Amino acid sequence: MRILVCVKQVPAKDAPIKVAGDGAWIREDVAYETNEPDAYALEEALRQREAHGGEVVALTVGPARAAQVLREALAKGADRAIHVAGDDAHRLDSYAAAEAIARAIAGEKFDLIFTGLQSEDYGYGQTGVVLAELLGIAHATIIMQVQPAAGGVRVKRELENGYFQYLNLPLPAVLTIQSGINKLRYATLMGIKQAKSKPLATVALADLGVSPSLNRQSVAKLYVPVKTKKTELLEGPAKEVAAQLAARLKNDLRVI
Amino acid sequence: MTTERPSLEAAVVIVGAGPAGLACGLRLAQLLDEHREREPRLPAKDSIFILEKGRETGAHLLSGAVLDPSALDRLLPGWRERAPIEAAVADDAAFFLTSRRALRFPITPPPLRNHGNYVVSLNRLGKWLGEQVEAAGLTIFTATAGARLLFGERHAVIGVRTDDKGVDRRGERKANFEPGYDLKTPLVVLAEGPRGSLTKQLLGRLGLAGPNPQLYALGVKEIWSVPAGRMPPGRVWHTMGWPVPRSMYGGGWIYGLAGHRVSLGLVTGLEYHDPGADPHVLFQRFKTHPFVRRILAGGEMIRYGAKTVPMGGYYSQPPAAGAGWMLIGDAAGLVNSQRLKGIHLAIHSGMLAAEAIFDSWRTGDPAAVARTYPERVAAGAIRRELWTVRNFHQGFERGLFAGLLNGAAQMLTGGRGWRDPMLARAGHLRMQKLQAAPRHDWSLQPDEQLTFSKITDVYHSGTRHEEDQPPHLIIHDTDICNTRCIVEYGNPCQHFCPAQVYEMLPAEDGTKRIHVNASNCVHCKTCDIQDPYEIITWVPPEGGGGPNYEGM
Ligand SMILES: Cc1cc2nc3c(=O)[nH]c(=O)nc-3n(C[C@H](O)[C@H](O)[C@H](O)COP(=O)(O)OP(=O)(O)OC[C@H]3O[C@@H](n4cnc5c(N)ncnc54)[C@H](O)[C@@H]3O)c2cc1C
Repeated sequence: MRILVCVKQVPAKDAPIKVAGDGAWIREDVAYETNEPDAYALEEALRQREAHGGEVVALTVGPARAAQVLREALAKGADRAIHVAGDDAHRLDSYAAAEAIARAIAGEKFDLIFTGLQSEDYGYGQTGVVLAELLGIAHATIIMQVQPAAGGVRVKRELENGYFQYLNLPLPAVLTIQSGINKLRYATLMGIKQAKSKPLATVALADLGVSPSLNRQSVAKLYVPVKTKKTELLEGPAKEVAAQLAARLKNDLRVI
Repeated sequence: MTTERPSLEAAVVIVGAGPAGLACGLRLAQLLDEHREREPRLPAKDSIFILEKGRETGAHLLSGAVLDPSALDRLLPGWRERAPIEAAVADDAAFFLTSRRALRFPITPPPLRNHGNYVVSLNRLGKWLGEQVEAAGLTIFTATAGARLLFGERHAVIGVRTDDKGVDRRGERKANFEPGYDLKTPLVVLAEGPRGSLTKQLLGRLGLAGPNPQLYALGVKEIWSVPAGRMPPGRVWHTMGWPVPRSMYGGGWIYGLAGHRVSLGLVTGLEYHDPGADPHVLFQRFKTHPFVRRILAGGEMIRYGAKTVPMGGYYSQPPAAGAGWMLIGDAAGLVNSQRLKGIHLAIHSGMLAAEAIFDSWRTGDPAAVARTYPERVAAGAIRRELWTVRNFHQGFERGLFAGLLNGAAQMLTGGRGWRDPMLARAGHLRMQKLQAAPRHDWSLQPDEQLTFSKITDVYHSGTRHEEDQPPHLIIHDTDICNTRCIVEYGNPCQHFCPAQVYEMLPAEDGTKRIHVNASNCVHCKTCDIQDPYEIITWVPPEGGGGPNYEGM
């Protein structure tokens, strides 16, 4: 099985993020890391390869700094990596990013393409889906489990309210992987050492004819939500207050 | 449970990818490149291991920093055009602060003159140096801590064990357990920075120290984004006086960075008497001085961090090498405390170590470095610089003015001063018990705009640890905390820790008990240094955990 895993470098969620001067994106001077669901996607791909053989290729679309997530993927066991690089690569929307991926792998044949369920920065959850559309192949989202099945794979999808769906898909297919479906491995010393000699190809975004001008959506404004606190006292007999509270939680706040 | 450990042979293992370790690695790669063709028997580059506990190179590096370029000029000629520099120092000044006023020194004292130096972020410089090291064909093993030294006969160091990964809080293996490696090597270079855990293990086991114990200071730092024009890039200001009590050693800095950002912080000597002393509170107060507030008003705090600096100087340096080991950079105590500069000495020492190692490879006598490296240090720029300030920091044991007077006397006598060597006691021994100690007011009401609680600040340090792992701050006897220290010193760990790791929380029986929030730890090592009973041991947590000092 040949598996492509798309990983994105996102701002690390361990420190507060500050909006940049132009109000359209964040200050670049933050720390970055591998998007969490993508780390699970990589782990799943490595496990599939260990169980069924084949090759795992990691791909990222991002500026120079994003090569770090590929080095990590190689250290954990990916066989090779492709960096679709461009200074403004982080400004692509899901559609343009999917275009970039589709064009970058034009000469290759993969049985499965894994992406994370969504990215932790923009969180559109679209790149994998659009990519499947562009490649004209099947896809399924929010994947909890992947198993080989006659003619393709059988997957488990997470639905709302604790429900799951089982599906069979033909290959090739794109699967967007949910966080937590496996236990992430650590890169070992040997893994880090071997990663140095694995192939890491760089493709320029410009050579693929992709730039943010392909974007179908633009960010109008980015802001940090102002925290507001409102205290309301519900008064009356306990029973009534409880009923009121339940109604408020259900209808106004919609948390139950 | 015994663990099957993978093991690898290495020509040399460098522990710590700070300026010292990176310079050592890079210099080795350079020398190998220069001689490889004529001497094919030299070790291969992939037998050089550089270990770094941070998630990435630079993640745990925090400094001021004003960089003396002398060492980088030697290591990487032309670096000025390529390295990330915030600004060349444009103007410098020193101020004495009273609670309301800032008095500018009519002339900037010579040690604080910085013409020809550069303002840098050590995090960014370190990251860049790391790229040069990788480009030279070496591998930096990030997220990998040196967990312990391996010893052979007669206490010779024969290797390093890296950290186990995937162990839970009770010490049991998790599903993704990966045992640490045993790296067997004729030579371990300890470049761990101040109070390294392996360095401490080594010096403790061998009973080694300088004539004086090491003395430390804790630097607490923030980076701010400020309105344009407040602090031009390359402006370098130092302060003395308020808010540091006169009996204590301490001083502030404000440096103008590129992009309307400011680096500011306060260094507090860890040798004070008052067990309630809180360096984080001092720094927060520092920002409320009209002189500092004016610069920050309308700005936004971007990052926070804290780290210790070895301040003892020449007479606090432990032996620099022995059987199978070498110390470089802060681990060797190579900081000029008068100028608060150690980066260039770290780089110099890393290069000298590399040159000594390389020679030993050529002569086939690895044991020789124990002699040749200390000789090289004694013969060159490092000793020249540190010798003239050998008695500087000790003078502050009796407070600010005694220290300044002593400093002046030494300048006139080439470092000799009135006593040489001037001896000093370890900082934690100077802490006094509650009844005897001078008490200062350490309260702080953070407004969360200009001044911040430790919790808010730690959040801005980007610190993260795997939660389910064994404690990495080991208190050898918590009964001492809960029964003795609480009455004798009032648990100073709550105060000196700049990351709110230690708290005394009420227990069910009405008493208070020590509680350790290990995941807050920013790896500054203050607790290991300053606890009056010496019962806290800092060991590296699972590799990759710790702060994320982007831009620091
Ligand atoms: C607040 C402050 C301000 C300063 N200002 C200046 C200044 O303006 N100019 C100047 O020249 N100097 C300054 N210094 C001093 C300077 O930063 C240090 O001298 C210098 O960083 C020392 O370099 P090093 O490589 O020896 O250690 P460090 O920079 O401390 O690097 C040590 C590295 O080793 C890693 N490490 C430690 N233990 C282990 C382990 N067991 N396993 C794996 N990795 C490990 C650490 O994570 C770290 O990355 C300042 C220091 C501080 C704290």
